[in-house]
Amino acid sequence: MDPITFSIIRHRLYRVIDEAVITLKHVSGSAITNEGHDLMVSLYRADGSLLMGGVGFLHHLTSAAEACKAIIRRFEGRINAGDVFLTNCPYTAALHTSDVYLVSPIHYDGELVAWSACFVHVYDIGAMVPGGFSPDSRDIFTEGFSSPGLKLVDRGEMNTDIMDTILNMVRAPEMVALDLSSMIAANNVARERMVALVDKYGSKPVDQACQMLVDQSEQSFRERLLELPDGRWESRQYFDIEEETYRVLLAMTKKGDTLNFDFTGSSPQSKYGINCAYWAAWGGFFAPLFPLLCYDITWNDGVLRPISMIAPEGTIVNCTRPAPISLATVGAIQSVNNAACICISKMLSASEKYAKEATAVWHGSHFAIFMFGQNQKGQEAIGIMTETFGGAGGGRSFADGVDVGGEIPNPIGRMANVETTESHFPVRYLFRRATSDSGGPGKYRGGTALEYAIQQHDSPDGGINYVVSGKGTKFSMSDGLGGGYPGAPCNFRWVHNNEAAEAGKNVNPFAMSPEQMTGEQESISWGVFPLMDQDVLYVRSDGGGGYGDPLMREPEKIARDVREGNVSEGVGRDVYGVVLDADGDVDAAASAAARDAIRAVRLGQKAAE
Amino acid sequence: MSTRISASLVVDDNGEIACMECGHALGPAGAPWKKAARLSETPLQGSGGEPYSNAANVLLRQFFCPGCAALLDSESALAGDPFLNDVVRL
Repeated sequence: MDPITFSIIRHRLYRVIDEAVITLKHVSGSAITNEGHDLMVSLYRADGSLLMGGVGFLHHLTSAAEACKAIIRRFEGRINAGDVFLTNCPYTAALHTSDVYLVSPIHYDGELVAWSACFVHVYDIGAMVPGGFSPDSRDIFTEGFSSPGLKLVDRGEMNTDIMDTILNMVRAPEMVALDLSSMIAANNVARERMVALVDKYGSKPVDQACQMLVDQSEQSFRERLLELPDGRWESRQYFDIEEETYRVLLAMTKKGDTLNFDFTGSSPQSKYGINCAYWAAWGGFFAPLFPLLCYDITWNDGVLRPISMIAPEGTIVNCTRPAPISLATVGAIQSVNNAACICISKMLSASEKYAKEATAVWHGSHFAIFMFGQNQKGQEAIGIMTETFGGAGGGRSFADGVDVGGEIPNPIGRMANVETTESHFPVRYLFRRATSDSGGPGKYRGGTALEYAIQQHDSPDGGINYVVSGKGTKFSMSDGLGGGYPGAPCNFRWVHNNEAAEAGKNVNPFAMSPEQMTGEQESISWGVFPLMDQDVLYVRSDGGGGYGDPLMREPEKIARDVREGNVSEGVGRDVYGVVLDADGDVDAAASAAARDAIRAVRLGQKAAE
Repeated sequence: MSTRISASLVVDDNGEIACMECGHALGPAGAPWKKAARLSETPLQGSGGEPYSNAANVLLRQFFCPGCAALLDSESALAGDPFLNDVVRL
């Protein structure tokens, strides 16, 4: 095939996905989809293998391939043009029950030529707790509706008995119907554009271009791996749920043009829903791998071929049914992602050519707050506080982490503005801002985290409820790189203003910090809680990991950090060894002395053995 | 000519892992190097400022170059958990 035609077809495939994503967003009505971009659309070959990975949560690119393959196996001989299939079973392909896959075969002249697949985190899935994150579930049976595969649309006709059954099992069925409609629309657009592409270039040339595209990715990725040194790199993620501590251990081995991810030694599966299944762990490390190692390579099955994974069965990264799994995306999957980010970045750091691509961990905890209850308009409001997508960037070899800078697994994620959230939930914000000293210290510091506080406002029920899946309060989950500190951990507090008011204390309705709040502050991290009357929920997310030695940070950058509120003067002095004068400028002599003193302490430490 | 093997380390002409800043040798290439470094193990809690509200038993391990005191690597750990070892084969 001539290179120009190949290039045109390749770019048309990109545009097919772009247009399908736009369609999905136009039809969908939920903040988690439109603001958080908790979505994905990708194209797959006739055998279900990944052809063109799209944007959104990158964990899903490979898992949706398994969804397509599962549907092909289950419905062999019954796959027709115009069909739309649904699966959301985590033990089949999905990450958790809330992330529903809709996959559609694309036929041309009666021949299956491709699949389109997409997902959104649906408004509700009928779990114990509205929204799908179900911290009290101890098995998958209480985590909502779960299907290994069903035909939702049959040759262009909605299978209304199936649709009605699904909608009968969920809260806010009109919103779930909109979610499903948005995905059907996205798949319809993908199918129409793919058919137009085949119509123009012919099915054989398009198939040939697709095969070339996959082979090209494999070849490019193997060549990149060959440029990197062989070795074995380790990382370790801790996280806490209630009083229990879990570990995700990763040893990544690169040999020649192959890469192996070995999770041997990771904790046994949990009684809490933070486990993930095999294909979710597989997708978990591709989320950082695609952007860090394949930023200029088409994300498709060719990239998968040099990769292998060891994930022992019965562990937190490959749990067995019926283990609970509803919080997998912010649980074990996120830790797989973090651990892989560090191992890949260590490998990149070992290369002169690619060291600049390395990064400390972004937004390691991926905490989530789900709200549910009646809103000020009398509607059933369910959904995530989109600050979870605000994140914090990891430090890199050439720059600080981006403050409140998002996350690696979802390059297009964003958080809603305050007004959008206040219009959907019966709450008002007391404040929302970046947090000083939250980014991991380093030559290039981690991005600062976010903190905010909310109170109920105008609620017909006197308040609203929320789910906290806040692992990452005891452990810092955004690891540093090259000596950089990990980012600060999360913090969640229930401020008991109602009790303070009953005790006769004046409750400050305009508190601008936790210190200005009157009520007792109770640390929380896991479970379902009320936000009633004058009580406050305070949330601080985790900072990004730092890169390199803080003593090597340019002193002027600390002066700027202090001026802008990103680093306190005390941390600037004690951790970075930078002393500022009364005008906030660097005191060069005092700083040199401070750094010498810190180095002397370092040299006074015992040998590690 | 030295060869980079991490953000802070190289392998020098003698086949030794060495500090990227000062060239202090830390052991043969291809072998774990951390035991040759100076180690600080302190609570992570408070280490980077007030937001470091970690549990009291979480440690910040820092590995320093014995030659120039450069911070070569950091890891958070629970007591008793092994060092994270990275091996680059040239």
